Parts: sequence; structure tokens; C-alpha cells
Amino acid sequence: MPAFKSDRLFHALNHAMFVALGLIMLLPMVHLLALSLSSSRFIQFNEVYLWPKGFNLAGYEYIVGQERLWRAMGVSIYITVVGTAIALFFTLTLAYALSRSYMPGKGLILKLILVTFIFPVAMIPYFLVVKQLHLLDTLWSLMLPNALGAWYVFITKTFFQGLSNELFEAGRIDGCNEYALFWRIALPMSLPVIATIGLFYAVNQWNAYFDAIIFIRDQHMYPIQMLVREIAVVGNMTDNMEDFSRVAGEVSQKQVIAGVILFASFPIMLVYPFLQKYFVKGAMLGSLKE
Amino acid sequence: MHDRFRLIRALTRPRIAIFLIAVPGMLHFLFFKYYPLLGNVIAFQNYDLFRGIWHSEWVGLEHFIRMFDYGEFILILRNTLLIGIYQLAFGFPAPLLLALLINEVRVKWFKQTAQSVLYLPHFLSWIIVGSMFIELLAPEGPLNALLVQWFRIEPVYFMTEPVYFRSILVSVGIWKAVGWGTIIYLAAMAGINPSLYEAAVMDGANRWRQMTAITLPALTPAIVVLFLLNVGHLLDKNVEQMLVFLNPLVRDVGEVIDTYVYRVGLIGAQFSYTTAIGIFKSVVGLVLVVSLNQMSKKMTGETIY
Repeated sequence: MPAFKSDRLFHALNHAMFVALGLIMLLPMVHLLALSLSSSRFIQFNEVYLWPKGFNLAGYEYIVGQERLWRAMGVSIYITVVGTAIALFFTLTLAYALSRSYMPGKGLILKLILVTFIFPVAMIPYFLVVKQLHLLDTLWSLMLPNALGAWYVFITKTFFQGLSNELFEAGRIDGCNEYALFWRIALPMSLPVIATIGLFYAVNQWNAYFDAIIFIRDQHMYPIQMLVREIAVVGNMTDNMEDFSRVAGEVSQKQVIAGVILFASFPIMLVYPFLQKYFVKGAMLGSLKE
Repeated sequence: MHDRFRLIRALTRPRIAIFLIAVPGMLHFLFFKYYPLLGNVIAFQNYDLFRGIWHSEWVGLEHFIRMFDYGEFILILRNTLLIGIYQLAFGFPAPLLLALLINEVRVKWFKQTAQSVLYLPHFLSWIIVGSMFIELLAPEGPLNALLVQWFRIEPVYFMTEPVYFRSILVSVGIWKAVGWGTIIYLAAMAGINPSLYEAAVMDGANRWRQMTAITLPALTPAIVVLFLLNVGHLLDKNVEQMLVFLNPLVRDVGEVIDTYVYRVGLIGAQFSYTTAIGIFKSVVGLVLVVSLNQMSKKMTGETIY
């Protein structure tokens, strides 16, 4: 391709823009990192930008010692793992069934599912239903209601439809009934879609906090996002004031808040590089279905 | 003995078995997506938590009338519409533009790295993103520190000044979503036949012409569908985003239908009134989606369903 002068200019500008954009995406977290490692002297006078000043780990020492943070982390891990398993159960079974041409009522069911995609459930009835099922203040309320998403059902269904029919035919000849066909043939072949959908559900589970706000009162069951919200957004640093002032001498509130925010994003940041390509592939699958 | 075999044989018949496999999922949809629709009936009552649906008194359209009589709902509706329109006006083109630009990058490693970085904000929760920006924009935060240093002005209370609120809301929303939003367009672009571009280049088309003649038309289905979905959800604000940024000082410009329902309905226990509001929102959404879908069918042939 001939490299015209204007072409070169365009590419230079384009690349520069992406560098700038990338920085805009990353710098906020870098700033938080710097804050979390800086001493209160410098934080007080707003001198911390991208590099820690008065480097100290006292903030993180405090955070690591906070039992409730670890508990919340544990709650989040639990509802993410179990919640995703539950979601996969519902999604895979439904999508598989809908992918079979002999499924009774297939057309109607698909339309009904599509409708739920376009119209979200109203907040109050949603709350009342969960209440009626006696799920309030239990971890189930965080895992069950959002265990099925129309979009994921469609993606998974498309995947199952793509599986070669010969395998199923062979299975039938061998005497498999429908359940065996699903369990022994379809499922083992669906690891790619399980990985993709599972990851999507998992990330959603990890990041969600609205359900926790409306369903959970017991502080011991707060997922990590709720706790971060308490600390960083609402401003309740501790459940008992004395705890913080004891440490307050060395550690500024901001340092701890920044550290807590990073603490909560640590798991996602950890898995992101490895799983990013699955997410992207999944999203592309989903968009192509359109 | 006979009956037991009969039952098992019945359960293993293909159509019945496959239906049974689908039952858990169907029950879930029924319970959590369709059953709540019945709950909307409390909009016509003065729902009392302790009396339940069957024993609460009926008040007909009282709540709906109240919605329009009291100024507060109109205010909230205005906020919801305005924020929705801002988000549409800025937040809809952004991923498209970005996708077009990403497409132009030829250096593979640069492209992939840039994309990785751009997708990252999507994976952070709104709590994390919100707290980050609250800190960044705080009077004692870095942005103000820079402003004070360079321009010698007083710190600006970005998060609590009504005049900035909507802009900040929309901007942060874009920050979080723009990278991820490019995926759908990039996927569509990947499906374009490269020989089309080669032919265009041979005909002397420059970059701009290639974009308007090849890329954009190929993206039109995706653009239309996404646009329809977005407008259909015009009144649905992202509660998770709003709850983090909303504070009492900006309530006049920032309170939207969903946060109002949360605050007044769930916390304030005015279930019936806010359910009526919810019905109103759903109806408007329905009208928007259906009418736009019809329009789109006539104009471009693309529809959501």
C-alpha cells in the first residue's frame, strides 16, 4: 500500500490518540495505587498524582488486618463460584433443549424469552417476589434471581445448534436417551461456550451490588462491592469508630480508601489478562448472533 | 411394577425428556421474569406489606393521577429523559467512532494492546469506577489540585455542583463502556470482504471514501439494532451507576425514575406509587420499542425481532 504523506500523518495521529486514550483508561487506577502507598503528610496537601510520596505500606497493613474485608471477599468469591454454577445449570439445560428441533413449544418459548430481553423487570415487583420466596437476607437472593439471562441463552442455543448432528445420531443408535445425549455428548463438547458464558456470569456476579443493597441487611453477608461502597462511597470507615482513630496517626483515610478500592479490584485485575480473549470471543459470538 | 416401567418409558420419550430438561430454565423465567408482572397489580392498590396483595385496599388510578399532579415526578421524568438523550447523543456514536479508528490501526501488537487496555474499565464494578472518579474529582483530588496550580482558581466541587453532574455522569459512563462497545462493530467489520477494499483502492478511493462506501454500509444493521435497543431503554438508567454518583445536593438534576423508585419505593416503602411509576416507564418503553421498530422496518428493513 503506497504510503502517502497524509497517510503517515493519519497513522501518527491515530496512534497518538490511542496512546492518550489508553492513558485515560489507566491513569485513574495508577493514581489510586499511588495514593494507597503514600503517607498522609503528602496526601493532605494534594501532592500525590501518579507516584507515591512518602512510600509506606501502612495502609495495606491496616487493610490486610481487617477481618470484615476478607469475609466480604470470601462472600463474593462464594457467590461468584456458586452463582455461576447455578447460572450455567439453568442456561445450559434451557439452551440445549431449545436447540433441539423437536422441543415442544420452542417457537413460543423463544419469543417469550426475547420479550424479557427487551423489557427489564420492574424493581418493586422484583423485590416483592424475592421477599415472597423468603430469600431476603440470604445469599440465594444474590445468586438465584439473576441466574438466567436471555442473551446468554441465545448464545448458548446457537452454539448447541452448531454441534454436528451425526454425533447425536450415533448416540441414539447406541441407545442413549435424551438425558444421556445431553450429559454425555452435548455437554463435554460445549466447554468453549461454558467457559465463555461462565466468565460473563462470573464477572457480572462479582461486580453486581444493587441486588445486595436491596436484599441484604446483615453486614456479615456483604459482598466485597457492598463493603467498598460502605467505606468509599458512604464513608463509614469502620463499624466502630475507635478502631480507625487508633491507626489514624500514620494512615490517612484516603490512603485506606484507595487501598480498599484496589483490594476489591485485585481479583479482576489478576484474571483479566488471562481471560480477556475468552471475553472478547464471547462478545463477538454474541454480536454475530444479531 | 408395570406402572413404574410405563412412567420411565414416558419420561424418556424424546419430546417429553427434552421438555423436562428445559423445565428448570423455564421455571426460572416464569418466576423471576413473568410472575413479577402480576405484582404490578399493586399499582392499583394501597399495598400494605403486612396485609399482602389480597387484603390491601383498592384505589384505582389514584397513584397514576398523583404522578402527574405532583411536580416531583415531572422533574424526575425530565432528568431521566435528559440524561438518556445525552447518553444517546454522546455515548452511542463513541464506540462506533472508536471502532472505526481501531480498524485503521495496522500495527498488530499496538492494536491488541490498545484494545486490552480499552476493555479494562468495562470489567470494573461501578462501585470501583465511581469511587475512583469521586476521588479524582474531589475538591482535594488531583484534578482540582492541577486546576488550582495552573489556573489559580478555587477548587471546584465537581461532584456536588448540579451544573456538572449530568456531564460527569455521561462522561464516566462513556469512559467505562466505550472500549467494550467497540466489539460488536469490530466483529461486524471483520466480516467485510477484504477484496472490496482492494477494489476500492484500485479505483482510487481514499480512506474516507472507503469508510463511507464500504465500512459504514456494512455496519448499518448493527448500528440500527443497537440504536433501537438503546432508545427502547431510554428511560432505563443504570441504577448501579446512578446510586454511586447521586448525592442530595444534585438530586434536582440527577434523580431519575429508577433511583426515585429505589429511594421512595423500597426504602420509603411507598410500593404502590412507585409500582405505578414503573408501569408508566414500561409502557413508554414498549411504545418506543414497537414504534421505532416499525419505523426502522420501513426505513431500513432492520428490526430487533
